[in-house]
Amino acid sequence: MKKELIELKVNGRGYELAIEPSALLLDVLRQDLQLTGSKRGCDDSSCGACTVLVDGTPMLSCALLAASCEGQEITTVEGVTEHGSLAAIQKAYGDWGGSQCGYCTPGFMMTVKHLLAHNANPTDNEIRSALSSNLCRCTGYTQMYQAIRAAIEAEQKGIQEEKLSAIQ
Amino acid sequence: MSLPQFKLLRPHTLADATKYLAKHGDRIRILAGGTDLIPSMRQKLFEPQFVLDIRHIPELNGIHEQGGGVTIGALTPLSSIEHSELLKLRYPVLTEAASTVASPVIRNMGTIGGNICLDTRCLWYNQSLQWRKSCGFCIKKDGDLCHVAPGGTKCWAAFSADTPPALLCLNAEIEIAGPSGTRRIALRDFYTGEGDEYRKLQPNELLTRVFVPAESAGYRGVYRKLRVRGSIDYPLAGVAVAIKRSNGHIADARVALTGVNPAPVLVARAADLLNGKELDEALAETVGDLAAKTAKPLTTSALTPEYRREMIRVFTKRAVLAAASN
Amino acid sequence: MTMATDFSIIGKPIAMVDAAGKTTGAGKYADDLSMPGMLTGKILHSPHPHAWVRRIDTSLAEALEGVVAVATGKDAPTPYGILPVGHDEHALVTDKVRYVGDNVACVAAVDEATAEKALELIDVEYEILPAYFDPEDSMKAESNFIHDNKPHNLEKDYHHVFGDPEKGFAEADQVMEARFIANEVTHAAMEPHCTLAAFEIDPYTGNMGRLIVQSSTQVPYYLQHKLSLVLEMPMSQIRVIKPLVGGGFGGKSEVIPLEIIAAVTARKARAPVKITYTREEVFWAHRGRPRTIVDLKTGIKKDGHITAVKAKVIQDGGGYCSYGVVTILYSGALLGALYDIPNIQYDGYRVLTNKPVCGAMRGHGTVNVRFAFESQLDELALKIGMDPAEVRRVNLLKPPCITVNGLRVQSYGLPECIDQVVNRSAWKARKGKLPKNRGLGVACSHYVSGAANSIIRSDMPHSTVNIKIDRDGGVVVYTGASDIGQGSDTMVAQIAAETLGCSLSRVKVIAADTDLTPIDIGSYSSRVTFMNGNATLRAAQDVKRQVATAAAKKMGCEADDLIFRDDKIVKKEGISRNNAEAVRATQDASVSGRVEGQILRGSLQQKREDEGPKDSLTFEEAVVAAIDFHGALSGTGSYAPPPEARGGKHKGAGVGPSPAYSYSAQVAEVSVDEETGEVTVHKVWASHDCGRALNPVSVEGQIIGSVWMGMGQALTEEMVWKDGLLMNPGMLEYRSPSSAESPEIEPIIVESVDPEGPFGAKECSEGSLAATIPAIANAIYDAVGVRLHESPFTPERVLAALRAKRAQKKINLTEGIDPTAPASFREHGGSLWFKGKGPERHPLDPSRRETPAEARGDD
Repeated sequence: MKKELIELKVNGRGYELAIEPSALLLDVLRQDLQLTGSKRGCDDSSCGACTVLVDGTPMLSCALLAASCEGQEITTVEGVTEHGSLAAIQKAYGDWGGSQCGYCTPGFMMTVKHLLAHNANPTDNEIRSALSSNLCRCTGYTQMYQAIRAAIEAEQKGIQEEKLSAIQ
Repeated sequence: MSLPQFKLLRPHTLADATKYLAKHGDRIRILAGGTDLIPSMRQKLFEPQFVLDIRHIPELNGIHEQGGGVTIGALTPLSSIEHSELLKLRYPVLTEAASTVASPVIRNMGTIGGNICLDTRCLWYNQSLQWRKSCGFCIKKDGDLCHVAPGGTKCWAAFSADTPPALLCLNAEIEIAGPSGTRRIALRDFYTGEGDEYRKLQPNELLTRVFVPAESAGYRGVYRKLRVRGSIDYPLAGVAVAIKRSNGHIADARVALTGVNPAPVLVARAADLLNGKELDEALAETVGDLAAKTAKPLTTSALTPEYRREMIRVFTKRAVLAAASN
Repeated sequence: MTMATDFSIIGKPIAMVDAAGKTTGAGKYADDLSMPGMLTGKILHSPHPHAWVRRIDTSLAEALEGVVAVATGKDAPTPYGILPVGHDEHALVTDKVRYVGDNVACVAAVDEATAEKALELIDVEYEILPAYFDPEDSMKAESNFIHDNKPHNLEKDYHHVFGDPEKGFAEADQVMEARFIANEVTHAAMEPHCTLAAFEIDPYTGNMGRLIVQSSTQVPYYLQHKLSLVLEMPMSQIRVIKPLVGGGFGGKSEVIPLEIIAAVTARKARAPVKITYTREEVFWAHRGRPRTIVDLKTGIKKDGHITAVKAKVIQDGGGYCSYGVVTILYSGALLGALYDIPNIQYDGYRVLTNKPVCGAMRGHGTVNVRFAFESQLDELALKIGMDPAEVRRVNLLKPPCITVNGLRVQSYGLPECIDQVVNRSAWKARKGKLPKNRGLGVACSHYVSGAANSIIRSDMPHSTVNIKIDRDGGVVVYTGASDIGQGSDTMVAQIAAETLGCSLSRVKVIAADTDLTPIDIGSYSSRVTFMNGNATLRAAQDVKRQVATAAAKKMGCEADDLIFRDDKIVKKEGISRNNAEAVRATQDASVSGRVEGQILRGSLQQKREDEGPKDSLTFEEAVVAAIDFHGALSGTGSYAPPPEARGGKHKGAGVGPSPAYSYSAQVAEVSVDEETGEVTVHKVWASHDCGRALNPVSVEGQIIGSVWMGMGQALTEEMVWKDGLLMNPGMLEYRSPSSAESPEIEPIIVESVDPEGPFGAKECSEGSLAATIPAIANAIYDAVGVRLHESPFTPERVLAALRAKRAQKKINLTEGIDPTAPASFREHGGSLWFKGKGPERHPLDPSRRETPAEARGDD
């Protein structure tokens, strides 16, 4: 099929791309944009390793056509890092064993980023339920809960420090 | 597994969408949430010439109150339904059913229209091209025999969506747009009961809206889903119950099943059994037995058919009791 | 409970050295790599379980625009296999296919869609053979053997008798005998296998030269070895690089078909070829835990002492040998080394069937037998009226000792493991007193810390590590250890940093690249911390000695009097100045002196200001001094298991012995819904004796992960077959647990400090898995009084058992197979998804068996 020209906005940058209409967003991110953080773990849209944010909402990039996302803001795991530093959740996943082999981790990063953006202090059940979008085969999820708690604490501490410095 | 090659049509209005449908008819597949269609196309279950991407038709997205009832656009994501306060208040069976679909991320993508139109499923059908070739294909796709009920000519693929049984309990209607305008039918008339041609939707038609009537508001509702995992899984059996009470009696009751027949089905005589009665355990058991007789599970999914039928019985009993005591 | 120690890095919870790459997406896995001119490889798989391949016509595929090459068996006819006794696989089949999914041809094309289209154009003529799906049937075969040289499809059988089992049973007060069946499970690592193979151009000949393979592997050196065999190239001409690996669990612990196929196809295409498995192909490549029948008999005395154990084990191995011979031996050997069992009889049969190949999976060989054993021990404890935790205490080993089957046990934390879980779960107070349908169960397990005998018999060390320190003070560790997510790179960095007394940020780990790193036989059988850790320790000690010699001269003391810690080298307390002065008098003046800034060369000729001996040196100063003194600074260390740990002399004695064993005890708390049979695991307390926890966060992560994976096998995971066709080759239908139903798992670290482990460390990543399945089974019994002899304990199995116990109206939930006393495998595998023999294959499909299945669906 002939390629079509589309414009894609990924992690705040605009890209003009010639792609086939049947190209999956996941493949375009990984192959055309070299954003290989998003992973392919299954072929039946069940594992969540390819999760990205589309206009702030977690979606599976393996079940989206890239051309269909024209005009939407896409955020991948590469866009989670803040000004070249680890975001609190990235740091916490490393510190607390939330990531072992790391293959599912980018998907979890997107899920957790969305969770915390909409619910700064989720209950254990809310965390458990949110994480049920993504499969992990290493951790049994337990250490992820600790990591998320730690990230929330770090965020809150950060906010307080910001407030303090603002007052000063 | 690559996608088949197709031309992508991206209308931004319903009018444009119906125009495309009128023009390309049966060479088209409609793409909304994509959570079922995309993996199915990768398995070469569908190889359309055109894919009609309706993700960006704003007029088909949203939950609106209308004359005491509620209109839901077909593109409304299941997560919006799950979290809608209006729906939670009026039609709790629907929000509960929506909240059990697959996983949170799938609910962000999947739409109510897609859930209603969800293709029937079978272990012998939802497989790769190579896999299906290994078993000689099946009636539903590329073959002429059913592995589930050998010797028969009927396809038994199971209807496996969660919200339709809830909508059946609510007497929901749907709007279908076609080349000659729109038509509105009861949801219960939408399904054929056949596993292959499972719905009455012409190739040039599009499901546009769901209407939940005012009369069904305030029914207590419960949805119970048999699944192996607490997330991700399709229903292996599902029961929706909506009950209206008055003065300690059941004024009206509806029970519907999913995952065990080629269509979601209302348990026809449940209302006869329950209406006007005071509910007790024994009566709930009787309704459960009736539901189990309505269910016709076959080996289309995990867990044995006998077990799934037994769970229809248990879940119906429990759901009826829970709905009555909510 | 980790012990208080004075280590500065060992025993501290730290993030993995590669954590940031994983959380940012910057880390590269095999499928993230690409090369200019790279082609996509796609494999044509067999649709038949057993057939001669009479003809393959690839001409149409080759003619398709965009196809560069099509490889078949002829392109690489040399057989290979992970075990020297099991060279029965070909890159692509040469004569027959042996399972649905076997590898027939491979297309290299410009993109995936073209390659897939080309696969459809390959014409293969098959001559169908009768196929074997049930191992007990397969063993009775008289003709059409799966491999000609394996009569009756028996890959291997072993018959071991230790002590006098008959006498033991005669002495017992209670004897129980039962059949247990554990159905087949697979690793389902999140990363599908991927290999990128490319040839360099040789500058001297101008032709294809060295082969570079980047692959998702746990065993780069075995891969290099097998590539050399099949491609008939010297090993020195092959470089294998392991990028980040997205989980292995044993599924990448041997040469997986695509790794060889990619190289063969790249050679034919004369271009780089990348093959990434689809998830379905991952299931076909499999190498998971075989379906296992365990006929188990155990005798016990009233006082709880086990008198004898007799086990007959049949494993459904699939179409090729893989690790099969090792698996069946592990199943017998690891009956020992957990408890004191004086008399053991073991009969093991590894059987070939026409299904994807089973291999090594987390807890290799032990898991299914442990499920049977710990379940039966629970039953026996009830029979003699003894607390199930107590009966396990009665049978503890008294180490150091050697078991009847020749396994040497030194460190043995099992007693503390049992105490810990009994206390944490309030076992004594709560057992038997929980609400209706809720129960507690206990079980134990153990595992090797690496095999004492390597697969390939030789005297080579199992691990070698090199360390280089340069003038920048950076420590570079070259290790062959393969980090597959378990954290071996971090372990290596920790051991090097602790030994050298330097900060972790100084240490760079170069790992698993056959050009750069010395040989390590791979990440399997939980050998890496013990063996590569010891090699790292020795390499670090070697280089430290060199630094210390030079530093001692500068500091006016003996090398042994120095402490390396926190990037400083200081004298031990009590080393007096006078003593130091005495040393100083003898020292070589040419190496004393202050280092001025960065001195890059010729430092011996540099002008120095002699300041006399120093009390302390920074790490950099010491390193520079050492380089000045020695000329170059590198150390090496290797590890080979000691002869005493290598086991007995009987046939098959090579498998099972390990330099050290880990121990685990678990209590599971479950509830069972009596109407649905659904089992909910509320909590698992899991204690694990890992010798010493080098990194407690990692150790806890490994314990939790093992328990969780065991829970998957216990409750939801099962490969389901129909006529050799895998019914659930995807993550949707193969149900790896989600967070929604995953319970709280409380990991408890027990440290027995092994005398030979690096800093006392032992295995921590596999041993816990095996205890979880019986702990849950025993808890189900405690909750509702049904004993399940077949895993997984799916709701219909539990419900069938419950209804039978209550003598309720019979509903045939499990096609007549009683999950409390399973008689045999069903033809279609472990599943209960099909009634009777289940539906038939297509009537035109000649692979249907001669006696047609009694097929029908439900009404």
